[in-house]
Amino acid sequence: MLRIVDNDPGDTAPEPRTRRLWTVCCVVFFLGPAMYGFGTKFYELVRVFQGDSTGAFAVTPIVNYLLAGCGFLMLFAWAARNGMFRDIERAKFEMLENEHKLDEIKNFAPSHTYAASSRR
Amino acid sequence: MSPPVLDTSTANEPLTDVDRLVDRRIVLCYYGAALTYMVISMLGGLLMALQLVRWNELQGIELLSPGRWRMVHTNAIAYGFLANAFLGTLHWTIPRLTMRPVLSKAFSYLIFAAWQVVVLATAGGILLGHAQAVEWGETPVWIDPVAQLGLLLVAINFMTPIMAARGPMYVTLWYFMAAFVWTFLTYAMGNFVPQYVVCGTNAGAIAGLFIHDLVGLFVTPLGWGLMYYFVPILLKKPIWSHGLSLVGFWGLAFFYPLQGIHHFLYTPIPMFLQYGAVISTIAVEFVVATVIVNFFGTLKGSGREVVTNLPIRWFYTGMILYGITCFQCALQVTLTFQELIHFTDWVVGHAHLVMFGVFSQWLMGIMTYLIPRLVGKPWYSRKLCEWHYWLSVVGIVVMFLDLTMAGLFQGWSWSSMRIWDHSTQVSEPFWIVRIFAGLSMFGGILVFIYNIYKTLAGPVEVIAAKAQPAV
Repeated sequence: MLRIVDNDPGDTAPEPRTRRLWTVCCVVFFLGPAMYGFGTKFYELVRVFQGDSTGAFAVTPIVNYLLAGCGFLMLFAWAARNGMFRDIERAKFEMLENEHKLDEIKNFAPSHTYAASSRR
Repeated sequence: MSPPVLDTSTANEPLTDVDRLVDRRIVLCYYGAALTYMVISMLGGLLMALQLVRWNELQGIELLSPGRWRMVHTNAIAYGFLANAFLGTLHWTIPRLTMRPVLSKAFSYLIFAAWQVVVLATAGGILLGHAQAVEWGETPVWIDPVAQLGLLLVAINFMTPIMAARGPMYVTLWYFMAAFVWTFLTYAMGNFVPQYVVCGTNAGAIAGLFIHDLVGLFVTPLGWGLMYYFVPILLKKPIWSHGLSLVGFWGLAFFYPLQGIHHFLYTPIPMFLQYGAVISTIAVEFVVATVIVNFFGTLKGSGREVVTNLPIRWFYTGMILYGITCFQCALQVTLTFQELIHFTDWVVGHAHLVMFGVFSQWLMGIMTYLIPRLVGKPWYSRKLCEWHYWLSVVGIVVMFLDLTMAGLFQGWSWSSMRIWDHSTQVSEPFWIVRIFAGLSMFGGILVFIYNIYKTLAGPVEVIAAKAQPAV
């Protein structure tokens, strides 16, 4: 049965302290080394570019990536800010419900996909 | 301009405007064009396969030389079949997901006409020797601005209803939105930057990045986006985890664009970048795993559908082949593996598995589901639908295994420093098998087209009120 999850912010229970602590630990554990790795590699890239005229090889794809990455980071921030990740499972129920409504309004389809009259 | 909205807020208010929401004729136009280019592409592939076994009936005709046919083969699939089939399906999917029509019907037909001009000009340009020196970007330089404009119009036409939709977006729309932006940027990067901005090896690096991004940032997001839409509606249950599907989307967004450099292992590009590309490719394998787990989690409890429901069978066959192709990716991006398989038929087998085994099969499944709904008639023959499936699947699996093995034999031949002729002699039996595998796939498409023709020619079915579509 299809159902829509209620998205009333008033229902949201306060986040437990342990969960918050756990989230912070995960962020430090995963993002810390990743940021360090990225930073050192980026420094290496700058060194390559400054020290060698052919370093331009490396720059174009990296600049492409950084531009695309920044764009998506901004989109991610916008999405988070606008509640796109709140009640995250709701959208999948709504999608099915809309489909159901559309199929009920008007039959886009024959009642069956294969001709029943023949055994072809 | 604000497009009209189909309000579904009140259950008692009947919606009578569904035909205005989805223009079925344009979907059919796109499918007609897509299948035409599929036939052209397969003819090109067949001619190339025959050339490899030294059976070229067109010998001496420069316009129809194998090198040109090969480019027609790849471009007709990318821009002719895939792009047309995707655009047609988007005209069905986006309005139904957002409950809003696309920006303008006239605009849609203008884009359709413009896109056919782009594809035909590309084919003509390639045959006349005007191909641009960018693999998969052989679209002649004089048609590139038109194609770029076309992609912009596509984005505007489809983004309008998406941007107007309220509330948390379904994952399909995230994928589509990203695809419109990525495809526009990828096309510009691959077709203009090496032509006008950079040169030499740097241009080569960009061209390689373009090939990979065209698969990962144009075809992949549209393909997965469509799967997230069609699988739940066919199984009549929601996707296993919407949260996990968003992990897959954002993972693709952040990891994928750095991968292209894995095409340049052992080149003068600094090693730290090559290693970075290898690592980001392997990171994407984790993302792929989340997507596949999600779809098989959705199938749990409905496994019988794979047997009885043909579109679902197409989709899940494509997903299994997608898993295989991504597993291959994780292996072939390593320096050790590249040493053996670079420039061999392994790569050709991999490319066919992705383009035909995965994305074309998904689109075939979608067409199998949608065509009766578009024309309002049941399929002429279920048996022919089954033949289409089996000829295609057997053909692509045989071709993939055959070319993979051919690639290994070629690699071993080269690495043992034997003369070049040795590798071609070793390859010949594989190339013969490849012809028959290709003929099987081609046969499947011809059967499908015949079935569509007979379906269109058949009587219109009287549709019972409130009948539910069943597959």
